[in-house]
Amino acid sequence: MRFTLIKNLKEDMAMKPLLNGLLVFMLLYFIADFFVVNATLGLVSEDIKMTLFGNIDEFIDPMDKSVFLEYLHGQIFFIMMILLTLSTVYARLCSIKRYSIIVINILMISALLSLTTLFISYFYIPNLVGVYIFSFFIWHIIAFIMALHSLWNLNFATSI
Amino acid sequence: MQQAYRYAVLYFLLFSLLLLGSSLLLFEDKIGLSVTAVLQYYLGNEEKFLVEKSWLTILKIILPHIFAFGLFFMVLLHFILFTKYKKSKQFIKLSYAIFIVGFLELSSPYFIIIGLDFFAYVKLISFILLELLLLYTLWLLLASIYKH
Repeated sequence: MRFTLIKNLKEDMAMKPLLNGLLVFMLLYFIADFFVVNATLGLVSEDIKMTLFGNIDEFIDPMDKSVFLEYLHGQIFFIMMILLTLSTVYARLCSIKRYSIIVINILMISALLSLTTLFISYFYIPNLVGVYIFSFFIWHIIAFIMALHSLWNLNFATSI
Repeated sequence: MQQAYRYAVLYFLLFSLLLLGSSLLLFEDKIGLSVTAVLQYYLGNEEKFLVEKSWLTILKIILPHIFAFGLFFMVLLHFILFTKYKKSKQFIKLSYAIFIVGFLELSSPYFIIIGLDFFAYVKLISFILLELLLLYTLWLLLASIYKH
C-alpha cells in the first residue's frame, strides 16, 4: 500500500506502471468473472435456481451443500481481497472525499448483499435469487467504473 | 487514516466475519466438530462411505489455504499498525499466535494419517483457536475504527 503515501503518483516512475498494471488486471478479472459465473452458477434467475436446487423433470441434481459452501467461501475471499485493493487505489486516485466514500459504500454493501442473499437463497428463501442477481450486477458495474476512473485519473488527471 | 480508507477497512472486516462464518459451516459440514468425526474424515469410515485421505489429497486441500492464510493474516494484522496497539507486546504475541496456530491447523492432518490420533485434538483445537484469535483481532480493529 505504498502508493497511499506518495504525494504525486504521476511523477513516480516506479509506482505508476505498477498501478496501471494492477487496474488493467482488475478490469480483466471483472469481465472474466461474468463469464465464469454465467457458466458455473448462471446469471438469470431460472439458471441459478436450476443450479442450486436442480430440476426433477430434466434429471438435474441440486448443488451439494459442501460444494455450495466451498464456492461461497472462495468467493468471499476473492471478493474481499480485490475490493479492498480497488477501494484503496480508488480512494487515493479519485480523492473527491464525499463522492468516493459514497461510491465505496455502495460497492461494498452491494458485494456483501450479493454474498449474503446467495447464502439465504440456498438455505432459506429461494426467491432472494433476484436480489442476488441485482446486487451482483451492481457491484461488478461499480467496480468496473471505479477501475476505469482510477486508470483515467492516473494517466490523464492534472494532479493526483 | 483517511476516512475513505477507514470505510474500506471496515468493510474488509465485515467480509472477514463472513469468511470465518463460512469456514465454520464448511468445517462442520465436511469434517465435523468432534474428535471422532475428524479421525473418520481423515482415516476413512466404511459405514459413512468416507475414503481414507492420502498425502496428496490433503496437499491439494491445504495448498490454496497456505497462500490464503498467509495473505489474510498479513493483511488483517497489518491494520493493527494503524491503531494504538502497534507498539504493544499484545500485538507481537497475537501475530505469532495466529501464524503458529494457522500452521498447526494446516499440518495436523499429516500427523493423523501417519497414525498419531492425538493430532485430531490438535486439528480441532487449532481450528477453534484460530477462529477465536481472528475474531479477537477483528474486535480490536472494529473498536479502533468505532473510537475514531
